[in-house]
Amino acid sequence: MPLPRVFRRLIMLGLCALLSACATPGKDASARLQAVRDLAAQAHSLDNYAELTERYRATYQREKPFLSAQADIGEHLMDARRQAACDDLITLHRAVQAYLYLLGQLAGDERYDVEDQVKGISSAIKAWPDTGLDERHVNAYAGLTRLLARALTQGYQDRSVQALLREGAAPMQTLLDAMRTLLRYYAKTNANEARIVLGVLEVEIPFADTPRDRLLGVLGKELLQTKQAEYRLIGRRYTLTERSLDELARQHLELLTRLDPASPHP
Amino acid sequence: MPATTNAAASPLDLEALADSLSACADILHTRLMRAIRHGPPAPEDSATPTAAPASSPASGSIDQGLSQGAAQALFENEVALRQRANGLYLEAAELAGLGLGGQQQVLLDLAVQAQDKIRRINRLKDMVSLLADLLSLGAAVAAGKPEHLGPPVEKLRRHLADLQAGAPPSVQP
Repeated sequence: MPLPRVFRRLIMLGLCALLSACATPGKDASARLQAVRDLAAQAHSLDNYAELTERYRATYQREKPFLSAQADIGEHLMDARRQAACDDLITLHRAVQAYLYLLGQLAGDERYDVEDQVKGISSAIKAWPDTGLDERHVNAYAGLTRLLARALTQGYQDRSVQALLREGAAPMQTLLDAMRTLLRYYAKTNANEARIVLGVLEVEIPFADTPRDRLLGVLGKELLQTKQAEYRLIGRRYTLTERSLDELARQHLELLTRLDPASPHP
Repeated sequence: MPATTNAAASPLDLEALADSLSACADILHTRLMRAIRHGPPAPEDSATPTAAPASSPASGSIDQGLSQGAAQALFENEVALRQRANGLYLEAAELAGLGLGGQQQVLLDLAVQAQDKIRRINRLKDMVSLLADLLSLGAAVAAGKPEHLGPPVEKLRRHLADLQAGAPPSVQP
């Protein structure tokens, strides 16, 4: 039967292509692409940086009711500067996020998922029962296509991802470092803000705690409790965000050590 | 509060200075609260200094109690110290945020490159589809049924047209 021979030849041709494509480092590449996807999955934690920058921007608003007239003047001047600084600082995370997101997409599992296309091939063959091709041929061909596409794509993915990681290494570290430093300033500013707000209450409550001003004393203590809880919670938020940024920087560094030194720089 | 003039100071120096101002404010606050807990000074009991704890004889006067006005005045000093510290943190933040625009641009450019590469991989998938079309065509020929050639050829033509439409700008004339 001459007809299946055509397809056998096609299969042989595919096999040759597959063998040459398999020369790419399969296992290392898979692990590396997985690590890139893990790193990219952390990118959303940078939203916390933006939210805490927004909180830093609003420091004056929260402090205002607790400031004396004299303290208010100084704080008002500082607020204008803080607003201007935050306009720039609030967007620091965006480039990092965009970069990590697309890197993750490029390293994505679904990139070498050609199932839909393979199905198309299978049905194309099955649509013509008179060709002498049976289920076995169809499956063999579909499996081969799957392997071939995977080998070709993964090699390309791995090389591209490595090149992008190399080129992005320095700016990534610089920006992550800057964000970590800024978070530390935000947290310290927040600590002083908390001590000012809580301090007013702590200083004034003992003088309001007289039978005549009982209600004032009660309201003051109640507000103190609320504010203490609020600052305790936000303090934890700074710690968690700092930790997740540290983790992101650590993962990124580790990924850089896993780059293949022999990989070309396209 | 007047702007500080630390033109040559590094963010780290500013931060260290701010940290020590914050620490001073903390100490002041502890002292202030201890004094307040002793209640307001009674005008007639100035003759009984034993009421104060003997731990800090040098500052015995504020530990004997404070009036509300005196407490408020002292607290104003604490607030001033903290504001000064926060001003330094702000200055450090301004410095830390300087000159990062270039780095951001590099990452954004790389993101665009990544997008390009994703597009190329997707085109490879299209090639696999094209293979399916070719097979379909081949099968029609192999089955010896030329009257069935129409649909596969049409599909192939559509697919090739799609591929061309999705090609990178460099391919276009």
